[in-house]
Amino acid sequence: MPAQAVTTAKLPGMKPILKIEDLVVEYRTREFGQRVTVAVNRLSLEVFPGEVFGFLGPNGAGKTTTVNVLLGFVPVTRGAAYIFNVNVRDPIARQRIGYLPELTYYYKFLTAEELLRFYARIFRIPRAEIGPRIDEVLKLVGLDTARKRPIKTYSKGMQQRIGLAQALINEPDLLILDEPTSGLDPIGRMNVREMIQRLKSKGKTVFFSSHELGEVETVCDRVAILHQGELKATGRVSDLVEKYKCNLEQAFLKVIGYEPGHE
Amino acid sequence: MGNSRQLFANHFFTKADVYFHSGYYPSVFDQAIGGAPHITAAKDAAAETDAEHGREQSEEAGFLGPPRDWIDRFSRNFYPSRHSHLDRPGEAREILPWLRIAADLDPHKVETYTVAAYWLREHLNRVDEAEQLLREGWRANPDSYEILFELGRVFDENRHDSQRARNVWELALGKWRQRSARNGEPDDFVLEQILTRLAQLEEREGHWEKALSYLEKLEAVSPKPEAIQQQINDLKKKVVSAPPANRSGAQQTGKP
Amino acid sequence: MNNALSVASIVIKELYRRKDFYVLFVLTAIITLLMGSLHFFNDDRIVRYLKEICLLLIWISALAIAVGTSARQIPAERENRTIFPLLAKPITRGQLIAGKFLGCWLACGLALIVFYFFFGVISVSREHQWAAASFFQALWLHWWMLGVVVAMTLLGSVVFAAPSSNGTICLLIILSILLLGRHLNKVAVQLAEPMSGVVSAVYFAVPHLELFDVRDLVVHNWDPINWLICVGATLYAAAYAIFFLFATWLVFRRQLVLRWQPGCSPGTRVGRAAALSPIACWAS
Repeated sequence: MPAQAVTTAKLPGMKPILKIEDLVVEYRTREFGQRVTVAVNRLSLEVFPGEVFGFLGPNGAGKTTTVNVLLGFVPVTRGAAYIFNVNVRDPIARQRIGYLPELTYYYKFLTAEELLRFYARIFRIPRAEIGPRIDEVLKLVGLDTARKRPIKTYSKGMQQRIGLAQALINEPDLLILDEPTSGLDPIGRMNVREMIQRLKSKGKTVFFSSHELGEVETVCDRVAILHQGELKATGRVSDLVEKYKCNLEQAFLKVIGYEPGHE
Repeated sequence: MGNSRQLFANHFFTKADVYFHSGYYPSVFDQAIGGAPHITAAKDAAAETDAEHGREQSEEAGFLGPPRDWIDRFSRNFYPSRHSHLDRPGEAREILPWLRIAADLDPHKVETYTVAAYWLREHLNRVDEAEQLLREGWRANPDSYEILFELGRVFDENRHDSQRARNVWELALGKWRQRSARNGEPDDFVLEQILTRLAQLEEREGHWEKALSYLEKLEAVSPKPEAIQQQINDLKKKVVSAPPANRSGAQQTGKP
Repeated sequence: MNNALSVASIVIKELYRRKDFYVLFVLTAIITLLMGSLHFFNDDRIVRYLKEICLLLIWISALAIAVGTSARQIPAERENRTIFPLLAKPITRGQLIAGKFLGCWLACGLALIVFYFFFGVISVSREHQWAAASFFQALWLHWWMLGVVVAMTLLGSVVFAAPSSNGTICLLIILSILLLGRHLNKVAVQLAEPMSGVVSAVYFAVPHLELFDVRDLVVHNWDPINWLICVGATLYAAAYAIFFLFATWLVFRRQLVLRWQPGCSPGTRVGRAAALSPIACWAS
């Protein structure tokens, strides 16, 4: 089924910061017969500078696979993906992005400061700038007072915040957040939402995958809905709501063809 | 546990030999391929002649053989590949820990005591320790004529106590006879040494008849009976040419 | 190089913040001092047995540190998912492998310096002389041997999924080479074809780690090795380390970072075989 383009946010003359073209990702098992499973099927989408883009879908829809392609973790079967016009296969494509994985653990034997210094060095941030940059992001995520503590002593919420801090250490132009509120308590979720709003106000582009429709509705400019590896809809949240004459959650269920009582 | 203790004791005893050769020692693979050149344990150095030792050295020097390939040639730079002995003063002390451990692990391995005692008294001038170790070995192995023989050497060569030396050697002779009668396989090598020492001691003490008696017994077991016969003849001549007073002394028995 | 050094610095930090090194060092020190306190036949100048025991413990500890540290590097990155934020940065897999290798190898070097310093103190206190050249050669060759061990174990860590199985297999291979490597050519001579050819091939193919074991020379106060030979051994170790690192990179660059998570993929028909494979599957 072709994707239902509600509206595009494409502005005349504006180049996409993230572009996926006819992406197909397949993987094969090592069983006899090598069965092939299609994780993402002919996905095309664009994200423009300054947008907060929600990438929606139920579990197993192919969201994380797509994110993994963008980060170079997974090779594409067909098609291509570009960040800042650079193919994602090239490590330099990741120079200007920040990535917050879902439920990630960091090197437990390091302190927050050491962890950020390590990542800053990989981004080749000049030595003189590393210190002030670390101070800034730690203040931003509210971990300034815990900067000298080993990460193993952090709570789950603090770990998610140090995740955000590492994603911001290089002052990225594009932030890729994979289920950023997963496993957080309501206060933690609110903090993450605030953070995304703050980044948006600074002109950053945020691409985030989620199945938490409430927060998507709150923070996203545009969304794409993925189901069984295929793009089902893309457009502004308001347009989607208007088209289906219901709230985002119900629109989402309609798009993926879910009917209550029928799995 | 008993068997493993013996295995470890044997290993450490060999280790002492490895140390005696400063690490230059054939592995089981070298022994399998090269006709197993036997490196005698340190104990045998006590009995071997210079000529014998020379022969042993030349055998040992060749256990590696010519290098078989470039890896073999290159690797010989990284481990002891020249024959060597601990022959600088006091160096022999380095073999002692392994002998001590071997003795502790297997108190019934007689060779450990005799070898250690030999090095202690002969090369390290530690006569007290040698005697103490031999007594310890004797307690663990009361039937060992080898330990008694070595103990006799301590008394004779280091303590210069002929009486006690004679006593333990005669006791050793008795033990030898008992064991030979029991086993049916006489250990002529040690018997030869006991008889030689006793004969020398009696001759030195002037008990010529007694010395002659030991020499005659020695002639029967020696691999070189002609040499012993020569010694007997020499001693007989000495007895004949000696003044009568001394000759009468020769009639005395050497019994304690 | 900057990225590799950054990764290496993390590995080194990990080593000195974990207890493994301290436990091994304390054990080595205690056992050596305990053995040193023994007096054999009232002679306190006996030293070679103590040098041998101390060096044996150092070798065991160094192998445990090298294999233990290297075997868990990449599997632990996967298991703790720290590899995601790391590879999301502008770092190549080659740089990651190089960094892990450098980190493990330098960490082993630091540990060796501490161990050999202790060994030096023990031998000087007993012998009242210091064979500096032999001592340095022993440390140097040992460190290069660990370079080969670390590279080999890193290769194992991208081939075998579990660090424990990788560690065990690598240790078995390393110990076999150390104990039998030198003798394989003699064994080959005694075998009939085709086994003789196979053993000969193994003899020429395996890295001869036993070359770097100069403990006997140090213990028995032999003269130092010719320095040119020492350089040759260093090049030999470097060649094997580079070969293993290249192989690691070849395997790792084609591997997916992720593992398949049951029940998450669309139309999942993937069986247990794939779930166990580090290569075939990823989470969706």
